[in-house]
Amino acid sequence: MTAMASALIRAVDSSPLAVPLRITWLLNRPGTAGRTAALLPAASFAVVTTLLLTVLAGSLSFLQWGDEEGDLYLLLAGFALILLVLPLITLGGSAARLAARRRDEHLSTLRLLGASAATVRRVTVLEAGAQALAGALAGVAGYVVLAPFVQLIHFRGAPLGAAYWLNPGAGTATVAAVVLLAAVSSAVGLRRVTVSPLGVRTRAKAQKVHWSRAGIAVAVLGLCVLALVIPGAGAALGLMIIFGVFAAGMSVLNLAGPWLVGVSARRRLKRAQTPQALLAARIVLDSPKAAWRQVSALSMVCFTAVIAGAGAAALQGAQAEGPEDFLLQDIMTGVFITVIAGFLMVACSAGINQAATVLDRAELYRSLAKTGMPREVIDAARIGAVMQPVLLVSLVSCAVPAVLLFPIIGAALLFAPVTMIFLAVSVAAGVVLVRAGLAATGPVLTGVLDTGSGAGGKTQLPLH
Amino acid sequence: MTASMSGAPLLAAENLIKTYGGAPALAGVSLTVRPGESLAVMGASGSGKTTLLHCLAGIIPPDAGRVRLFRDTAPPLEVTALNDDARSALRRREFGFVFQQGLLIPELTAGENVALALMLDGTPRPQAEQAAANALADLGLAGMAERRIGELSGGQAQRVAIARAQVTGARMLFADEPTGALDSRTSAEVMERLLRTVQGTGRALVVVTHDSEVARWCGRIITLADGVVVADTSGAAGIRR
Repeated sequence: MTAMASALIRAVDSSPLAVPLRITWLLNRPGTAGRTAALLPAASFAVVTTLLLTVLAGSLSFLQWGDEEGDLYLLLAGFALILLVLPLITLGGSAARLAARRRDEHLSTLRLLGASAATVRRVTVLEAGAQALAGALAGVAGYVVLAPFVQLIHFRGAPLGAAYWLNPGAGTATVAAVVLLAAVSSAVGLRRVTVSPLGVRTRAKAQKVHWSRAGIAVAVLGLCVLALVIPGAGAALGLMIIFGVFAAGMSVLNLAGPWLVGVSARRRLKRAQTPQALLAARIVLDSPKAAWRQVSALSMVCFTAVIAGAGAAALQGAQAEGPEDFLLQDIMTGVFITVIAGFLMVACSAGINQAATVLDRAELYRSLAKTGMPREVIDAARIGAVMQPVLLVSLVSCAVPAVLLFPIIGAALLFAPVTMIFLAVSVAAGVVLVRAGLAATGPVLTGVLDTGSGAGGKTQLPLH
Repeated sequence: MTASMSGAPLLAAENLIKTYGGAPALAGVSLTVRPGESLAVMGASGSGKTTLLHCLAGIIPPDAGRVRLFRDTAPPLEVTALNDDARSALRRREFGFVFQQGLLIPELTAGENVALALMLDGTPRPQAEQAAANALADLGLAGMAERRIGELSGGQAQRVAIARAQVTGARMLFADEPTGALDSRTSAEVMERLLRTVQGTGRALVVVTHDSEVARWCGRIITLADGVVVADTSGAAGIRR
């Protein structure tokens, strides 16, 4: 055993990873400064893993039936999983960006000391991977803790029960996927910045979003409406049209999203009469694309929730009681779970992004507090900068499918109004969830403001 | 040796004591600042100069001692007796601050950064922006109100910070290492602008610095060591006067 360990150490020592590994350990060994900052990305990877394992386990539990209807359930579950991939990537990306931002200072110091760009890249990826691994293992514990509650959810008239448990192979693959996602996000994130001995990055001008995005979006919307009015289409064509409408709708939202967020922020900026309104609008306008990116996952979730929810509700309301009741009821259950899981992930990534922003801007926030700016104003500004795009995206993403599929929405409202109200309430609950995620970062701000009034009270943190 | 100006005080500190974890940061500091006075606080790292500025400005309460602000139309206000919210309001209305590197809000324009100080106290935005434009013009930044902070030089950003500190009509200005991130030529320019906001306006300025060249711009220099005042002398501005 000792011989094996020695051989392993010799192999690592002679590999190109030897130096990055030693530096990574040196910077992250127990007792080093900045461990709180390192805890945030690890915690977010834990949330990613818990949600991923839970949704995956729920979906794979449909394998227990093995009949034709079970296959349909698997297909629908696969679709829900695809929907949750974007929020998951956003959340993973947020965690990786936070990890990279926290490393800014010591990365440039490493360059100053003569480390090559390749060494710095390897250190970054190794650190992100290590944090993700720690978080993912904690996430497995989260999956186990959630089990008794998720196992109570009913599909086809029975609770999920023991079918919820994933086999160890799938669990291990999920943990590996999360670590890989962190490493890739970190490497991609590094390509966008230059790590020089003098610092990491600076940006002076606000990003602008061209109006042509809106033009392209309108054109896609028009083509989509044309496709819908083609008469005499067969079932296959109908299915293709539905997927086409879905894809087109999503591209409309993604093309027009940043532009819409920017236009809305510009309008709010003009009308702003309070410091918090002015600040919130300016923060969004600083990068409408970033503001959109943070909440874009909601567009897909809301968009699908309206289409699937309204479709199932319309059918449920229109037909008599029968065995299909389970399917339609279960589709609604799946829609609600997807909506809440999607919002939960966005709430987590919004919270993580906010925590990172507060830490990055600690010195600025402390200086504002010293000049007499109330903590409530700082809080309202940073929360408003996220919630305004969240509300806009939720509203628009529900409105676009409602316009595209207005006959189905009308039928659903007519035949199953209670279900539609429940759907609206779950979207509203999701918005509240995001707000709660942001409120959870309040103690980070309090901590930052409290530490600023000590002796000296100086910390050198980057403003961006 | 004392180089205080004569006349009614604007701010007075009596026997300020502050400790951090048993280590004394201030061990009985008393001083008086008068209208029109510019006071530099010097000392080595850990001598207590930033703690003194924080206590004088009501950012932190001292463990013992008191700070009083004297006003023309009201009785003296005991800053150290106020609660946290009241001290925040006092800092917004009566005090102005200039920090190292300005610490301005990067997403806002220069004009908005200055206007924000007025808007925080309820001034409507159009009036606040007009006052901000005037304050910037007074400091040689006419036409730059729409520029973002990242588009300004270090010296220009510091002048925006000075405009923000004085736009509310604050009578006491506090500056913590205001030239710490600037070259010597820009430092001199910033100090000149800072002193100009004090001379003949009834305001007073307290500058914390470790740079003796910067301190010499002020009318009076006090030096701290281990939390006590060990020297109180005239600076170049004092000698000129």
